[in-house]
Amino acid sequence: MKIAALLAPAVLVFTLGACAGETGNGNAQDADTLLTGEWPSVESAAAGQEVNMYMWGGSDSINRYLDDWVAPRMKENYDIDLNRVPMNDAQDIINQLLDEKSVGKTDGSMDIIWINGENFKAAKDNGLLWADFTGQLPNYNEYVDSDAPEIAEDFGEPVEGLEAPWGQAQFVFVHDESKVASPPTSMAELAGWVRENPGQFTYPAMPDFTGSAFIRHVLYETTGGHEQYGLPADEIEDLEGRLEPMWEYLNDIEPYLWREGETYPESLAKLDQLYASGEVALTMSYDPALAASEVLKGRFPDTTRTFLLAGGTLANTHFLAIPFNSSEKAGAMVAINEMLSPEAQIAKLSPANWGDLSALDPEKLSPAQQQAMNAVDLGAATLSLEELENHRLPELSADYIKIIEKGWVENVAKE
Amino acid sequence: MGRFISPVKIFLTLIFLLVIGLPFLALLLSSVSLNWQWPEVLPEAFSWRAWDYVLFGSSGTWQAIGTSLVIALVVTAVNIVLAVPAANALARYQFRGKWLMEAIIFAPIIIPPFVAVMGIHLTFLRLGLTETIFGVVLAHLSPTLPYMVRAVVISYNTLAVDWENQARMLGAGAIQRFLHVVLPHLLPGIAAGASLSILISLSQYLITFIIGSGQVITLPILLFPFISGGDPAVAAAYSLMFAGLAIVTLLGMDIALKNYYQTKKTVTGKI
Repeated sequence: MKIAALLAPAVLVFTLGACAGETGNGNAQDADTLLTGEWPSVESAAAGQEVNMYMWGGSDSINRYLDDWVAPRMKENYDIDLNRVPMNDAQDIINQLLDEKSVGKTDGSMDIIWINGENFKAAKDNGLLWADFTGQLPNYNEYVDSDAPEIAEDFGEPVEGLEAPWGQAQFVFVHDESKVASPPTSMAELAGWVRENPGQFTYPAMPDFTGSAFIRHVLYETTGGHEQYGLPADEIEDLEGRLEPMWEYLNDIEPYLWREGETYPESLAKLDQLYASGEVALTMSYDPALAASEVLKGRFPDTTRTFLLAGGTLANTHFLAIPFNSSEKAGAMVAINEMLSPEAQIAKLSPANWGDLSALDPEKLSPAQQQAMNAVDLGAATLSLEELENHRLPELSADYIKIIEKGWVENVAKE
Repeated sequence: MGRFISPVKIFLTLIFLLVIGLPFLALLLSSVSLNWQWPEVLPEAFSWRAWDYVLFGSSGTWQAIGTSLVIALVVTAVNIVLAVPAANALARYQFRGKWLMEAIIFAPIIIPPFVAVMGIHLTFLRLGLTETIFGVVLAHLSPTLPYMVRAVVISYNTLAVDWENQARMLGAGAIQRFLHVVLPHLLPGIAAGASLSILISLSQYLITFIIGSGQVITLPILLFPFISGGDPAVAAAYSLMFAGLAIVTLLGMDIALKNYYQTKKTVTGKI
């Protein structure tokens, strides 16, 4: 009896587990017709479906755009319930799908996932994405320039129709106009500025996404441009030697950084906090309109402005994909198509909603749509779309990024 | 002489306010602050943006609070049912391999939960238990049960078998003995264990996140992206909601317990 009392927890877990049992599948048979059928048939298949969209949930303005702008329209126009599921990190989505794949779960609850870069590569390499579906979407065919390098490739990885572009991001520096009247426009100028203003600049430590993007700019500017990094990292000659000037640059400015470079903010959130509280004069962002939306929220001072490097800054695209085991693929396709519509993209561009750059090709829009796009007030802190577009540099592929992030720890953080 | 308030007492009260109260004040201020620049001690302006989002927006806060509470209460109820017999055996009997049983039951206190939860996730996926509140409840049992068992074992240690024997001699059956002799004695231990169980269950992020797979939304699931994503205002508002939820739940339990003892006293007094 004593042993039985102790075993009770274990027994309970197992019997209850067995009761819950397996649930069936049966969503696969229609999948192929979705990829070949006419669009109206996809729309009618989608009616009444409940679509779960798994995405990073740490911004109230992005959440509100989905919940208050996109979701009601999906319900009204297509009878689709769009349910946003908040995630802490897109990598968690990939880990979860990997587990589901390994036990053969076919009735997954993720219907749309928001990913790019390394997460896309991991998903593609492990077969976690459904199929080449973007060619079926009317709005993709009509408004997206599928041959443009930033649409056809995601951090150097061919997209192959597995994901549809949702928006674009571009790296900008953020400054307070009242404190820094003429900000530096090249890495060489930045180094001079940092020396003259000790303690006023720092960048997030690796592997922070934005901190890593910052040192890629250092790489491009100190080693002579991005063109040389087109090859895969293991095929390039003497990579370590090529990276040397970047480490030299970063070590040279280190003594003049915030807290004499003894420590770095662990994330962009921390750096933004330092900027918001006035401890440092500059911050950075991989979202060109984020500063404007922080001003709207009252977190950044009204005199906040953004600036680019004269030689250009990195740009990337973020995408929406459908996992291999999505249970509501028709609904997911219709929802993604709707989010690519000019109306949805124009609303997304407004900093009052989100402030994310459009994924559409401006030349494919009608004059009225172009006008609506240009009429969006991006806020005084955001640069014009034209200026951003004229200063775009391509991203580096994921294998380089890993090497650089590791190298930073060895060459800069440890010295 | 009773009127004299000792300086020690004043000092302790001040320390208490400083250590417990001040962090809450900072949270409250940052949840409503607008443009809070160093070196200002107080924010220049205030905004309800964060609270508006948390309380009235599409954030699903209220539903998440409901789910959190249901999970915490069910977990605690199951814990009581499991822990009382287990504690009885551990406190009163000697048997082979007792140390092993104790080690297994208390292991989750020492071993970090994410070590186990990865394996649990794969098993639950096969059993179809992921994405259900039921699966999350089962997964929450592992980090909470040890505390409950520990608390009840301590209560059992101070309860001599003689009391039950005496009741038996007076003709009480097993159920009567348990309800009228054992349970009243265990109650403070159960209450202590239940408080810990509720608090630990409410604050689980990783286990809920992995087993619930985004379909079971508790308060920490909503809170975490804001903490790491760097919106201090919304994160502060959520943190206050979380603290409030924990305090109200514990107070509720405390009041229920006091009521129980009061009615108990009046009932026995009348007999």
